[in-house]
Amino acid sequence: MIRLDRATKLVRMKGVRKTIIDDVSLTIPRGKSVGLLGRNGAGKSTLLQIIAGTLDLDSGRIVKEGKISWPLGFQGSFQGNLSGEQNVRFVARIYGVDTQELVAYVKDFAELGEFFQAPVRTYSSGMKARLAFGVSMGVRFDYYLVDEITAVGDTNFKRKSQKVFRERLSGSDVIMVSHSASALRDYCETGIVLEDGKLTYYDDLEHAIDVHENNMKRH
Amino acid sequence: MSSRFGRNPGGYLWALLDPISHIAFMSIIFMAISRTPALGTSFPLFFATGYIAFQFYQSLAGYLASAISGNRALLSYPAVAPIDTVFSRYLLQLLTTALVGVCVLGALIVYAKHPAALHFPHLLSAILKASWIALGIGLANIVLFARFPLYEKLFGVVMRPLFLVSGIFYLPEALPPAARDLVLLNPLSHIVMEFRMGVYPQYRALGYDAEYVAWFACICLMIGMSLFTFGRGVIRAR
Repeated sequence: MIRLDRATKLVRMKGVRKTIIDDVSLTIPRGKSVGLLGRNGAGKSTLLQIIAGTLDLDSGRIVKEGKISWPLGFQGSFQGNLSGEQNVRFVARIYGVDTQELVAYVKDFAELGEFFQAPVRTYSSGMKARLAFGVSMGVRFDYYLVDEITAVGDTNFKRKSQKVFRERLSGSDVIMVSHSASALRDYCETGIVLEDGKLTYYDDLEHAIDVHENNMKRH
Repeated sequence: MSSRFGRNPGGYLWALLDPISHIAFMSIIFMAISRTPALGTSFPLFFATGYIAFQFYQSLAGYLASAISGNRALLSYPAVAPIDTVFSRYLLQLLTTALVGVCVLGALIVYAKHPAALHFPHLLSAILKASWIALGIGLANIVLFARFPLYEKLFGVVMRPLFLVSGIFYLPEALPPAARDLVLLNPLSHIVMEFRMGVYPQYRALGYDAEYVAWFACICLMIGMSLFTFGRGVIRAR
């Protein structure tokens, strides 16, 4: 369960203040995967960072039960001068999982070949995404925070990663940001719409998608 | 380690080559100008003591100021706190500079047949104080650089002559009184003096004020830590 309690977050970007969430109280129940919808720049990624714990709220509080992943994104969270393997080891250590096991799992999963030992800055964006996906699937979380990263790599890899991801979702939930309604339909049952600093929870993802599409038409 | 030194061919070796070339360069220039150094008989040793003491501040402060911006990617893991990156950089750079100091000074002391009567309490105290000043200023700058980009430029401009006014290639007490008083306002010149007291037993370091540096280091640390704590908001935000 993740619960926001009268939570407010403002961000300042180049002197412009923007309200991401404004006095929001909301509970995300355990056991259901959530799609997070909202227009460009509404603050979906910021919200994921708040849930992950890398950003603090300005006021209010967030209560989290369960192990929550870091936000999995295209960019990946890798130190460019370290090799893929070193980055994996780093993650294993900070999350307290078996280093060798995770390295072996990711090496096998990400199919990077010799690049696994090369600095991450030499990777193509597809390779980075594969590494990111492999690492995150190798660590067990109760909640996976996913930021626009569902379709990675070629068809083969896609099929493989979807299979693994689905396996994970049998025991874990995902909170997913995506602009693609079909990706959300694939993985999520419920939805949250972020609009004008307000979060609205919908038990039915289709309902949330409808609301979001109406919002998009209004402006 | 790899992230710091992995980029250049030669890697860690550069940490050593850089100060050596500096010291060699200064020695050559000053040997051409005068006959004996202000202390002892070896120009390289005289410069090395000053330069390395100064580096315990300079290299640390610079490296720490980019601890957050240089580790942006790793900070997307909630398990990595911003202060972790600062402390790991602090340790890495402190140990690196110490290693460089041991190599360079060790070699020069043997080469110059300098009486090996090192006074370690002085050396350690100078190193620690320098590193605390650097830690304080580094912590403060992480927040201030992110918040005020103009300040970053100003800081760079204002601090450029720091090398000249820290008593590295001269002794502050040998300057005319007006200039001496000015140089002695700079806490780093006291650090250089204390460091030299640890290498040259005969050095009397007139004007050295231990309390002044200690207070300065503590105040730097306090300001740095408070700014870092209260500036959390700008640290993780992009």
